[in-house]
Amino acid sequence: MSQEVWAFSESDSVANETLTAANEIANAISGKAVMLLVQADSPGKASVGKKLVVKGSAQSPDSPEFVSEAISRAAKQANPAVILVGGTKNGREVAARISVRLMRGCLSDVSKLSSDGKTLAGERGEYAGKVLTRVVADLPCVATVKAGSYPPASGKGTETSEVQVGDVQAKTKTLSVNRKPAATVDLKAAKIIVSAGRGVKKKEDLAIIESLARTLGGTLGCSRPLSSDLGWLPEDYHIGLTGLNVKPDLYIAVGISGQLQHVAGIKDSKVVAAINIDKEAPIFQAADYGVVGDLYQVVPALEKALTSKRK
Amino acid sequence: MKVAICVKQAIDETELKVGPNGTPLIAGAATKVSTFDKNAVEEALRLKSSGGGEAVIFTVGPADARKAMKEALAMGAERGVHIIADSERLDPMLVAQLLAKAIQKSGPYDVVLCSEGSSDTYCGQVPPMLAECLGQPYAGYARKIELAGASSKVERALEDRVEVVECPLPFVASVVSEINEPRYPTLIQIMQASKKPVEELSPQALGVSTEKSLVRVETMNAQSMNRKRVLIEGTPEEGASKLIEALAKEGVIPG
Repeated sequence: MSQEVWAFSESDSVANETLTAANEIANAISGKAVMLLVQADSPGKASVGKKLVVKGSAQSPDSPEFVSEAISRAAKQANPAVILVGGTKNGREVAARISVRLMRGCLSDVSKLSSDGKTLAGERGEYAGKVLTRVVADLPCVATVKAGSYPPASGKGTETSEVQVGDVQAKTKTLSVNRKPAATVDLKAAKIIVSAGRGVKKKEDLAIIESLARTLGGTLGCSRPLSSDLGWLPEDYHIGLTGLNVKPDLYIAVGISGQLQHVAGIKDSKVVAAINIDKEAPIFQAADYGVVGDLYQVVPALEKALTSKRK
Repeated sequence: MKVAICVKQAIDETELKVGPNGTPLIAGAATKVSTFDKNAVEEALRLKSSGGGEAVIFTVGPADARKAMKEALAMGAERGVHIIADSERLDPMLVAQLLAKAIQKSGPYDVVLCSEGSSDTYCGQVPPMLAECLGQPYAGYARKIELAGASSKVERALEDRVEVVECPLPFVASVVSEINEPRYPTLIQIMQASKKPVEELSPQALGVSTEKSLVRVETMNAQSMNRKRVLIEGTPEEGASKLIEALAKEGVIPG
């Protein structure tokens, strides 16, 4: 086993976070962090890192099947101590596939990674964020790093090299890729978020929540049903376990009942306020300040009070 | 069309209690069918309905796992395979190996369906690991599956894009909840479910040793949710002004 710690993500921003984690582990085991890039042998991007060059006309060089095969082949030769993959949806697939191919343990979506040179340990939220579990695997191993849990690496710092991994035949073929419209909101950076839930009766009524967000200089968000089931808002507004984790100074949940899956995404908020008509709604247990009342009355009242205060 | 569906009887996260020393009480905790597994069962029944065939439920776990099996059978699957494991929590790699062996033994299947991740630990590793163990094509996070002869078109819902992939049969897919609305079984279906055949298999019979886990749990601690939980009641105007006052005091809005 070499003392190398590999970092990979198909997303550039997540790759930089993953490299930070790799640097920390490399320090802990007196090893070396290596940024991986997987490319088809057509002219690749000029970037720093260890390039795994796949021969032949690869259909979709970003596909997890293609990437995992390339990394597995390179790992069989170089035998790195740790392979870290950014915790995106495709990243989870890449890591899982590599772990089977190399028969190595795989930690899923971990943060606060540490190593004593023999094992890799990391922390993960489980049971909708109710529990923090520390999981461990013997080196050599694989892990996905929870997206957003490390700051991006400053300066990439790994040397450039090339490894030819040969031809890869994919079993699936990508027919089309429809990018969602570029994210109109950046909820991860927002200081104030006002989120809407099922208490909002129709799509048009989102306007009153959005207006409150604007008055506060904040950003609109939502719980899962509004984006995934009803389609009232794009997926990049969805806060919760299967959506975004946010950490604003102020989070206001409007008409959100407070299912654990939603609360898991807001637990790093500094202050949580909630407006809900049902006094027994679980959101009040997860909030610092809860206003019991009809959102259709409380939200306009809030906005009116805020506006008159400014005058 | 033969479809295998993998389901899990998971710890019910909403009912999970915390012991006095801050550790969650996993042993004896209430359980339920992992939330999105019902979407996988529903999708299997939909795929099967077009041309007849069989939907077979697979589960790994202790005796309690029979509850998930029964619920999936009540929804309309024909039979089940229960791989008996002592532990509630097994390394995903072992689960994938056990499922792969059992699926190979009782198959072949045209499609193997899982949900994107279980509602308890949400690792999301078993479906791609299972595809690797079976050596079959894989489409993760499917929000639409369209069969066309010996192939299929699958829409994958990723963070910033939707990808359409062509996946030849047989394949493994994991589904997201927006793929369908799971049906509720009728009382008669629930009663009939207990009469449907369920084969029990041991890890030994499948040639998989569950002794050694590649991933181990070191510690589990409940996350404290230290919120102030101040309830404000009264007229909308009173509620609004009290909230603004409190938030200004916290320094999160201008005072």
